[in-house]
Amino acid sequence: MAQTAVGGSSANGAAPLSRQQITAAAGLVILIGLVAGAYVLHDVPEQGSKASLSLLIGAALGILFQRGRFCFFCILRDFIEFRNSSGLFAVLTALAVGGIGYAIVFGAFLPNTFTGRLPPGAHIGPVSWVLVAAGAAFGIGMALSGACISGHLYRLGEGYVRAPIALFGALLGFGLGFFTWQSVYLGTLSGAPEAWLPATFGYGGSLIIHLTVLSVIAVFLLKYLPKLPARQEEAITLRGIWDRVIHQRWNPLVTGGLVGIIGTFAYFRIEPLGVTSQLGSFSRTVLDNTGLLFDRLNGLDTFAGCTPQIVQTITDNGWLIGGLVLGSFAVVLLANRFQLSTLTLRNGTTALLGGILMGWGAMLALGCTVGTLLSGISAFAISGWVFAFAVFAGVWLGIKLRLHQG
Amino acid sequence: MKARLIVLLVALISIFATAAVSAQDTVSEALVTADWLEQNLENPQVRVIEVSVIPGVFERGHIPGAVNFVWHTDFVDTVSRDVVSLERFTELAQAAGINSDTTVVIYGDNNNWFAAWGAWIFNLYGFENVQLLDGGRVKWEADGRALSTDVAAYETGNVTFAEANADLRALLPEVLAVVEGEVPGTLVDIRGAAEYNGEIFAPEGVQELSVRAGHIPGAINVPWGQNVREDGTFKSVDELRALYAGLGIDGSTPLVTYCRIGERAALTWFVLHEVLGYEVALYDGSWTEYGNSVGVPIENPAGTVWGGQ
Repeated sequence: MAQTAVGGSSANGAAPLSRQQITAAAGLVILIGLVAGAYVLHDVPEQGSKASLSLLIGAALGILFQRGRFCFFCILRDFIEFRNSSGLFAVLTALAVGGIGYAIVFGAFLPNTFTGRLPPGAHIGPVSWVLVAAGAAFGIGMALSGACISGHLYRLGEGYVRAPIALFGALLGFGLGFFTWQSVYLGTLSGAPEAWLPATFGYGGSLIIHLTVLSVIAVFLLKYLPKLPARQEEAITLRGIWDRVIHQRWNPLVTGGLVGIIGTFAYFRIEPLGVTSQLGSFSRTVLDNTGLLFDRLNGLDTFAGCTPQIVQTITDNGWLIGGLVLGSFAVVLLANRFQLSTLTLRNGTTALLGGILMGWGAMLALGCTVGTLLSGISAFAISGWVFAFAVFAGVWLGIKLRLHQG
Repeated sequence: MKARLIVLLVALISIFATAAVSAQDTVSEALVTADWLEQNLENPQVRVIEVSVIPGVFERGHIPGAVNFVWHTDFVDTVSRDVVSLERFTELAQAAGINSDTTVVIYGDNNNWFAAWGAWIFNLYGFENVQLLDGGRVKWEADGRALSTDVAAYETGNVTFAEANADLRALLPEVLAVVEGEVPGTLVDIRGAAEYNGEIFAPEGVQELSVRAGHIPGAINVPWGQNVREDGTFKSVDELRALYAGLGIDGSTPLVTYCRIGERAALTWFVLHEVLGYEVALYDGSWTEYGNSVGVPIENPAGTVWGGQ
């Protein structure tokens, strides 16, 4: 596929028109294939409608992440290195919309917040120094490898050659994480609080706090927004819309809002968004089959999150990840933007190391920037905020140490 | 004359038709069909309770108007390993809007295992107007019937319960008395044959909670799945009666059902007690208690030793 694609997105680029059309047609075929795959999947034994919907949610996220450049590392790097906060507004919007959505869903799932119960499956994790260490390692891993795990997944579809290496590293990191988990569960995680705002403030109070904190951060970030370019009046045409949707980067507020909505739907119908549980499950199953891992990971089944299981089949999360990669790939092809990145020994090694750090961190934090940060903060979990700040610190350190310039 | 004949004919046909419909409708008065329940969702006399074990199943869609009871915490006392206390259960049932004359219909995931436990608890505390939805949640979904995420809120009910009926529950000393022949009784082990024979300690994918494998001496093995058809609905009363009679279980002696942790045995308890009307107690301590108890006899045909090579 790479040979057919030539860089440049304009319809009047140097590449012969037919080649562009072939590439775009391939993108279209993948999109149709995703829909057809979802249709077939709903009737497959042991998969069913949840698997089918997971594939579609994944595809939507892939398209959204790619078109909106919803890459946590790129967003943080823009801010830390270039003092540009526009990407962070996508994250803030996703959290604001997600918080409202979760509050609505929670109202039906757990009407009374003061019973000591937590809403089923919501990513409310244990808060301890382990979470801080995991987040910081994850952040450093992001800087080293050039993206977070969801970033690597969608950039796989763009031809980012470091992505598969980083994701392989993440599988190794998960393996290491299991052994660390076993040693920190007793003494630390078993007693760590699963702090949840609504248990104290109810849903209304929590949402007010949630939106206030996000607003304060947003106001602080306003001054780092680049000036808006002047825009001329233009007629709305199909071609213009195509250009906006397929070629131009989506507005961060639109991207963030859609991520928040998809996150809410995902929790309502299947489980909170996350992209690491299938990866961790793969590592765990391989280690289990080789007899290297303990049969039980202490206390893991008492927490909700992107928890790795021993699986013999593709989980809903696996379909989501597959959809994410293919969804991104499809829109990249539609825009004729697929291009293999260059790989060197150095940037391959840093991708692997970064991946290992991220896998380790995602295991101990029970999720990554999507599962723990996005789905956690949207669910009013303190663990989400702690992880977010630790990731920020890790990325900041990584960039200051120039780890990202591999 | 002709008119009389016609009237007679019509009467006969309607009697047969009614009989045919009711035979088709339910296998037993202890059960309700999905059709019946669907028509009675608005009936204020009927309260539907879901008891599913997988978290989030009820929340993401339940039978309209149903109330959620959580097996892990609402039907058991997690601290003392006991059934839920009378006080706590009364509180929960009243909060669900159950009155003393309410018909309670319970359903759940996993072939109604946990729902059957719920039905047992209601009976244990002297509330007998409780039925299971035949086929449970799986059948309801397979039929394509509607689910809802509405949160039902009911006025506090006036139901009160009696002290637990000891006849419906077997504790370890009573089970031992049966094993040692001091009192008459037949034990029914509803686990899979491999567990019963001691080849494995627990079903695949489930933690081993007992240090011994095998079964209670004299227990008859009737895996729970034999009670139901492919679609999860119960076999007919006649089929069930014949199934158990073929194994020497005909209700002539008191019965005790058990499994691993007590919940699947509740399904067989329901079949034997509620559907067939036999005298049955549920041994909720089940194999996790019996198999771990010091100095009690077991049968272990496979001879498996825990941790042994």
